[in-house]
Amino acid sequence: MTTNKQTTDQDGFDFMANAGREEQDRDMIGILLASAITVVITACQYLGLL
Amino acid sequence: MNRSSIFSTLYSLKAALPGLLAMFFIAIFSNNLVGVPNPFTLQNLFAWLDGVIGPLNHQSFFQIMNANFVWNPLLMGLIIGNLFGVPNAWKRGLSYIHLMMPLGIIMLAPHFMIGHASKLGFMPILICVAAMFITATVTLYTGRLLKLDDRQTSIIAGGLSTGDPHAGVILMPLIKAKGGQVVGASACVILFGIIAMLILPLVGPLVGIPDKYFGLAAVTTVGNGAQSLFAAFGQSYEAGRYATWFDVGRHVIMPAGFIYVFVVMFIRKLKNKGNTNVHATGDIKTFPIWLMVFIFFWALACLHLFRQPAAHAIFNMVQWDFSMAAAALGLSLPLREIAHDGIKCFAVTCIAGCIRMVLLLAAILLCVKTGLLPA
Repeated sequence: MTTNKQTTDQDGFDFMANAGREEQDRDMIGILLASAITVVITACQYLGLL
Repeated sequence: MNRSSIFSTLYSLKAALPGLLAMFFIAIFSNNLVGVPNPFTLQNLFAWLDGVIGPLNHQSFFQIMNANFVWNPLLMGLIIGNLFGVPNAWKRGLSYIHLMMPLGIIMLAPHFMIGHASKLGFMPILICVAAMFITATVTLYTGRLLKLDDRQTSIIAGGLSTGDPHAGVILMPLIKAKGGQVVGASACVILFGIIAMLILPLVGPLVGIPDKYFGLAAVTTVGNGAQSLFAAFGQSYEAGRYATWFDVGRHVIMPAGFIYVFVVMFIRKLKNKGNTNVHATGDIKTFPIWLMVFIFFWALACLHLFRQPAAHAIFNMVQWDFSMAAAALGLSLPLREIAHDGIKCFAVTCIAGCIRMVLLLAAILLCVKTGLLPA
C-alpha cells in the first residue's frame, strides 16, 4: 500500500487516520463542544440576550 | 500518543497551531463567514462570475454546480494540496477534522425543523419521504450489483436520496469512507443532477404531469435545490414556483436519509462479520454516541425548541466548522484518489438516479390521475 504524502508526516503520523481511543476522545470533545455551543446560543435567546 | 485525558488528542498548541491556521485561512478566503468582513472570497468570486454568466432558468450557475460552504474550501484545499503539497507542520492541526465532523453534524440538527413542511399536505410529504428511502435502497442494491466499494455506494446513496451532496460529507465519519470516495461520489451526484435537470423538462410534457406537481417531481428526482429549480423552471414558471414550495419537504427530512443509509450498512456489516468485501462502517461496533446526540437535538428541533435567530446563529457556527473541516479534507486528497473507480461510481449514480426518476414520475402521475394529488 502506498503512503499518502499529503496526509502523512516523516514520523508516520497520518492526519486522516482516526481509530480506537483517539477517535473516541475526538468524538467526545466534538459532542461536548457542540452541546455547549448549542445550549449557550439557545439559552441566550431564551434569556433575551439574542 | 501519551494519553492523560480526552484532551490529549488535541496535542499541544505549538503542534496544532500551523494546521489550524491553514484551515482557518482557507475557510475565510473561501466563504463569507460570520464575523469576518473579508471580500476576497471564492464565494464572492463565484457570485461575480454568476453575474457575468447571468441566470440559467432563474438559477445561478455556481449554485447548480453546488458551490457552497463545504465545496468552496474543499476546492481551495484540493488545489493547494495538489499544487504545493501539505507541510508536515500542518498535520497535527489538520487532524482536528475528526472532532469537527461530529461537532458540525450535531450543530446541524436545529436546521431541520419538520414542522416547516407541514403546509405541503400529507401526500407530497409522503412522496418526499418515499422518494428518499426508495432512492437510498435502489442505490445500495445497484452498487452491490455492480460490485462498487460499499463505502462509495453508501455516499452515493446518501447524496442521491437526500438530494444534497453535503450528505456524503456527513456520512464520511459514519461509513468510514476515504476522502477520495466521498468527493468522487459527490461529484457523480452533482454530475447526474446536471443531466437530470436537462432531461426532466424534455420528459415532462410527454408524461403529462400538471405544472404544480411537476414542481414536486423536479424536487424529488433531480438533485440539489438549484438543479431541481432549473428543471422545474425549464418546464414553466409555475412549475418552478411550485418546486420552490415543495423543496422544503425534501430539505427537512434529510437527516433521516443519511441515518437510514448508516443503519442499513451497519446492520449489513454486523451480519457479514469476516466478509472482506464489506468495508462500510469500518470498525464501528456500537451505534455512535454523537449520532445519538444528533438525533436527540433533531427531536428537540422538531419540537421547535430552537427558535430564530438562535437556530440561525447555530447554523452560522456550522458554516465555520464545516468550512475548516472541508479545507482539511481538500488538503488530504491527491487527485488520483478522487478519480479511482470513477466510471463505475458514475454508472451506479446514473442507473439509480434514472430508476428513481421513472418510479417517481409514474407514482406522481398515478396520484394525479386518481385524485390523491388534487389539481
